[in-house]
Amino acid sequence: MNWRTILRKMREYPAIVGFVGIVIFFALLSDRFFTLSNFLIILRQVSIQAIIAFGMTIVIISGGIDLSVGSTLALSAVILADFLKSGSIFTAVFMALLVGAAMGAANGLIIAKGKIQPFIVTLATMAIGRSLTLVYTQGMPITGFPQSFRFIGRGDVAGIPVPIIIMLSLFALMWFVLNNTKLGLYSYAIGGNEIAAKLSGVKVDRYKIIIYMISGVFSAVSGIILTARLNSAQPTFGYGYELDAIAAVVLGGASLTGGKGHILGTLFGALIMGTLNNGLNILNVSPFYQQAVKGIIILIAVLLEREN
Amino acid sequence: MEYILEAKGITKTFPGVVALDNVNFNLKKGEVHALLGENGAGKSTLIKIISGVYKADKGTILYMGKTVSFNSPTEAMKAGIATIHQELNLFEDLTVAENIAVGNVESFLLSKRKLINITDKLLKNLNFNIHANSTVRNLNTSEKQLVSIAKALFLNSNVIIMDEPTATITEHEAKILFNIINDLKKKGISIIFISHRLEEVFEIADRVTVLRDGKFVGTTDVGHTSEQELISMMVGRKISEMYPKYNVPKKKEIFSVHDLNVGRIVKNVSFSLKEGEIFGIAGLVGSGKSEIALGIYGYIPSKWKQLKVGDKVISKIKSPDQALQEGIAMVPEDRKTMGLVLELDVMKNITLQNVKEVEKGGIINWKKADDIAREEIGKYSIKVSSVKQKVKTLSGGNQQKAVLAKVLRRVPKVVFMVEPTRGIDVGAKVDVYKIVNNLANNGIGVVFISSELPEIVRLCDRVLVMHRGRPMGILEGNEITQENILKLATGVDVE
Ligand SMILES: Nc1ncnc2c1ncn2[C@@H]1O[C@H](COP(=O)(O)OP(=O)(O)OP(=O)(O)O)[C@@H](O)[C@H]1O
Ligand SMILES: [Mg+2]
Repeated sequence: MNWRTILRKMREYPAIVGFVGIVIFFALLSDRFFTLSNFLIILRQVSIQAIIAFGMTIVIISGGIDLSVGSTLALSAVILADFLKSGSIFTAVFMALLVGAAMGAANGLIIAKGKIQPFIVTLATMAIGRSLTLVYTQGMPITGFPQSFRFIGRGDVAGIPVPIIIMLSLFALMWFVLNNTKLGLYSYAIGGNEIAAKLSGVKVDRYKIIIYMISGVFSAVSGIILTARLNSAQPTFGYGYELDAIAAVVLGGASLTGGKGHILGTLFGALIMGTLNNGLNILNVSPFYQQAVKGIIILIAVLLEREN
Repeated sequence: MEYILEAKGITKTFPGVVALDNVNFNLKKGEVHALLGENGAGKSTLIKIISGVYKADKGTILYMGKTVSFNSPTEAMKAGIATIHQELNLFEDLTVAENIAVGNVESFLLSKRKLINITDKLLKNLNFNIHANSTVRNLNTSEKQLVSIAKALFLNSNVIIMDEPTATITEHEAKILFNIINDLKKKGISIIFISHRLEEVFEIADRVTVLRDGKFVGTTDVGHTSEQELISMMVGRKISEMYPKYNVPKKKEIFSVHDLNVGRIVKNVSFSLKEGEIFGIAGLVGSGKSEIALGIYGYIPSKWKQLKVGDKVISKIKSPDQALQEGIAMVPEDRKTMGLVLELDVMKNITLQNVKEVEKGGIINWKKADDIAREEIGKYSIKVSSVKQKVKTLSGGNQQKAVLAKVLRRVPKVVFMVEPTRGIDVGAKVDVYKIVNNLANNGIGVVFISSELPEIVRLCDRVLVMHRGRPMGILEGNEITQENILKLATGVDVE
């Protein structure tokens, strides 16, 4: 590998370059930043956002968008909590995932069959989902779960926190799906040129439904982890998460017009967001400024990518 | 000053290919200069360098005696060089008038009404049958081509570059275009004209320059050369038969459709195919000939009394996916909007329609897909730097070959080929004709839909001619002549 190919690779994965840059920046400014324990903290904090962003990645690659992820997270969290009170962990987790899948299926179905823009459909289901959550809980949090369930959010295996393990497994799964399966190829094709995909014999409607279901299920997984971590399910969970997820995907090199993007980029996109949060807190930057810093980073990243 | 434009020693490389290698080209005032060469020879790259889309790695361009280097197409346009690119770059959601105005009209204050009036006048003067206030998205490919032509003619330029302007329009419209070109010539305007149709070169051009594999082969007067000579300059060898035909029609019927209606356009069309037969469909733009294919293929809503593939009666086809399962395939009319996913590489585009062959339980075997892609690239001599080259960066003709490869990989029972030779070079055309013959002889029904009358006449055993969505008759044997087809296509009966 000569420096030219390295340079080209760097342009292909700007999120990695950006991440490394930010890590160096914070490491120079604070000695509390560059430690193994701080990295595990960052990763654990990032895991919930990253998992949602993984689902968002395949949606955006296929030319869509899913604004309902935060509401789906909240709705599946409260249903999970309710079932935890009365039934087994297994049933509760299953029900939560089912709710995620159902929300996704509803999104996909309306988008594909109704031929309505994903932005509008998921904006509507975002509102509906939030409302259902509030009605279901009467606005009150549900708390107090068995120790064995809290393991999902707080436990670790060989020193590695469980949320990180779940995140990395889902990362590997999505990497495989996008690169080595029919579903992956079809997602890129639908996002790149839906007409050509259809004329090539792709059952576009069916695959759109599957794609939104993946996003729904991943949101539910995040909801489960969040509930287990906080030992509480709150109807306000997930407010604004859609924006962080979209930001991570776009930082990762995907294009909102579809057909482009990859999961490694999204992982590092999410890491950039998480590292910024962590580093700015360590440096005691006022939270009032933090949003602006994130916004500026997103703009810089997108401007750099425009070149390709 | 002898030349209005002169390109000297132009070299341009892309990753993996030398697109142009020390090429010379010059243009006299008031001449039509044709640029010829096989697919991927570098024609489009050369004109993109002249018109400011790309920068050359080496070489100089003189325009009106001065060295120029345009930083953008707009700069070139302002200097008096207008270009109609091979890939149409129109705003789909804007009207025809707005598209023509973008980049051409400086005044922001121009009222919509006035703009439409001006454009309507322009279109009428050009004899183009298009409304200024229709949305571009609703136009078909050839109408879009006409809009691009009108856009380039809007300003008074010194040089007009036309990259395959006739590839997507019918003979009738090509005639109109040639009249326009002759008028421009009389006004002293110079034209660079790219086409894969040699007869057009002899009809319209004064001089011709041939490129091969990015290298300059030669420039000659059209009067001092022949089709044969130009072909061997382009391909490096002789082609003895431009329209090979060796299919053997038999008695057995392998496809039929009765009373087909497609959308609001096509009405009451019936035809059938015999084994070994090549069946043509001809007609002007808007005659509904491509809609016949799209309707049967399940892409546009359609109805029929009866449709049979082999002995099987099919009552309805709801989607292309279902059509493919029934053994009906289609080579779509427009490779960029319908045929290919431009951001994906050649291998993935070929795989897309042939996933079944390489997947198990939803998992794709990329090694196998890679082998298949290589096989198809070889079979159709698609010029690529690797199977991983994005189709976006293939030359136009090589994109077309990729479409043929992906559609014909899985052998169908019937294939509708809509403009299958659009934009491909002479040698490749002969290859496609051979493929068509072989398909027919292997028992596959071929419906050959084309706006190029010579190929329809020379290749097809029977020809259905359409006029404004209605079938005007089916010509057979000696009746198949360009004259008869044109008569029917314009709504005149043949005795
Ligand atoms: N942006 C690009 N990136 C990489 N390769 C390119 C790019 N543009 C063109 N090429 C390559 O350069 C060569 C010349 O292409 P060009 O489009 O000039 O051919 P052409 O003579 O116009 O062919 P056609 O008749 O098919 O339109 C081809 O091999 C093509 O793949
Ligand atoms: Mg070209």
